[in-house]
Amino acid sequence: MCSVHDTIEFEKLGIPSTTIITAAFKKAADFQFRGNGMEGHPYVVLPHPVSNLQPDKMRELALQFVDEVASHLKT
Amino acid sequence: MNEQVDEFEFFLEKIWSDGFPVVTPTEERIARILGGTKRDPEEVIGPIPPAMETATARDVAVHALMAGCRPEYLPVVIGAVELMLRDEFNVNGVQGTMHGVAPMMIVSGPYAAEIGIHGGNGCMGPGFRANATIGRAIRLILTNLGAGIPGVSSMTIFGMPSRYTYCLAENMEDSPWASLAVSKGYSADDDVITMAMVESPRFCFDDVSDEPNRLLNGIADTMTAMGSWNMHTRSDMVVAMGPQHADICANAGMSRADVHGRLCEIAGRKVGDLKNGGNWRRERALEFPIDVDPDDDDFFIPAIKDPEDLQLIVAGGWGPCTAVCHGWSGGSRAVHGRYQV
Amino acid sequence: MANGLGFIDPSAGGGKETILLAPRPTDLSGKVVGLLDNTKEQADIILQTVGEALCERYGVETLIIRRKEHYSKPAAAEIIEEMAGQVDVAIAGLGG
Repeated sequence: MCSVHDTIEFEKLGIPSTTIITAAFKKAADFQFRGNGMEGHPYVVLPHPVSNLQPDKMRELALQFVDEVASHLKT
Repeated sequence: MNEQVDEFEFFLEKIWSDGFPVVTPTEERIARILGGTKRDPEEVIGPIPPAMETATARDVAVHALMAGCRPEYLPVVIGAVELMLRDEFNVNGVQGTMHGVAPMMIVSGPYAAEIGIHGGNGCMGPGFRANATIGRAIRLILTNLGAGIPGVSSMTIFGMPSRYTYCLAENMEDSPWASLAVSKGYSADDDVITMAMVESPRFCFDDVSDEPNRLLNGIADTMTAMGSWNMHTRSDMVVAMGPQHADICANAGMSRADVHGRLCEIAGRKVGDLKNGGNWRRERALEFPIDVDPDDDDFFIPAIKDPEDLQLIVAGGWGPCTAVCHGWSGGSRAVHGRYQV
Repeated sequence: MANGLGFIDPSAGGGKETILLAPRPTDLSGKVVGLLDNTKEQADIILQTVGEALCERYGVETLIIRRKEHYSKPAAAEIIEEMAGQVDVAIAGLGG
């Protein structure tokens, strides 16, 4: 889907990039990366759904994934 | 045919199959269907998202053949693919969405009538080869070349029956008005396709009303639902008035534009009502391209945020029914254009 | 193509040329991080939270947050190109 597409475009421009998705879209994300010659590109998967979480719970959840995000953007 | 390979099983087992057998694509059949277009078979029509496989005119012809199209249907299929790939239609998004919307094709003009695209009773299927196979050709292109396949790149929760095929014409024989294409500025002699990303229809049955006010109230009600994305975002909608309902309005002196305007005006719900279920979010309402007060429970939210988003047609057979097809949340704008015969 | 079957197989799925990953920095300290918000619900909260935590934990210097037109469309090429000129690394969200 589109955030994956954005990451692909950043990578093509030489900018290390990762995507944050929700679990329901994992297959779609894998497909998009594979279809664009970036099979196995690292990205972050949040448990689905997130849309109905209250903001404070959302922040708590996001904090759990910060180190993973960082690991995708540096060596 | 190779005795070891059952051609029907071969294609039925393909991951991109729609679950039904296809017409086996042989070179002979491909050559025959290509006779239906003046386009060069190697002409590039465009990449089909999200897999971005390139569709040439020949590729479109092969999928049209597999779908069961006659050669004379091919110009419509090619025209539809070209339209579908317009940026504002956002096929890329709909190929992956959790929703089940499909590109509905409304084909206007003399060529549609000539090749038998049906707009009268039963026009939403099944039963009419042109309707069924032209729409199906689009779907096979989306699943094979685009890889819009559930479990692969499509996260569609339910899919939708209209994802098998979704193509019709208006019932111009019984319509009291000019066509949708004419209302958009084309001439009645132009061959035009309008496509909108919408759901399968829900029906408004009304065999009671004998004047437009009550009739349109009921149709407007069918255009709103807490769970409809039309109430929570800017989205297209198709309203297909059966000719009997259209006549009630026309006989009372209403033009197509009058009916269109009235539905845009009255179809909607108050904020206080919408908060009670479905997809209401305050911040979604603030994104509407219209002024909204999401904190005023009496504020009226229209289902149609821009008059351009309502595709009003007359279709179907005689009977007290109008079909309403709700839209999508993903930012698709209906597209229309002339196609080359 | 014709392959002894007596008919053609138009199944798509040819491999795409592999795109190499952009080279990663050894650390994020002093870097500019781009956050591309696709307007999906909660994307802004997630990206903001992650961005701020990257500053705290990894010494990221600057966050540049941009918002797309709609969550279902790829960002206008201009937004991405513009960000690519301003950032060292980028995070896109929320896919879904």
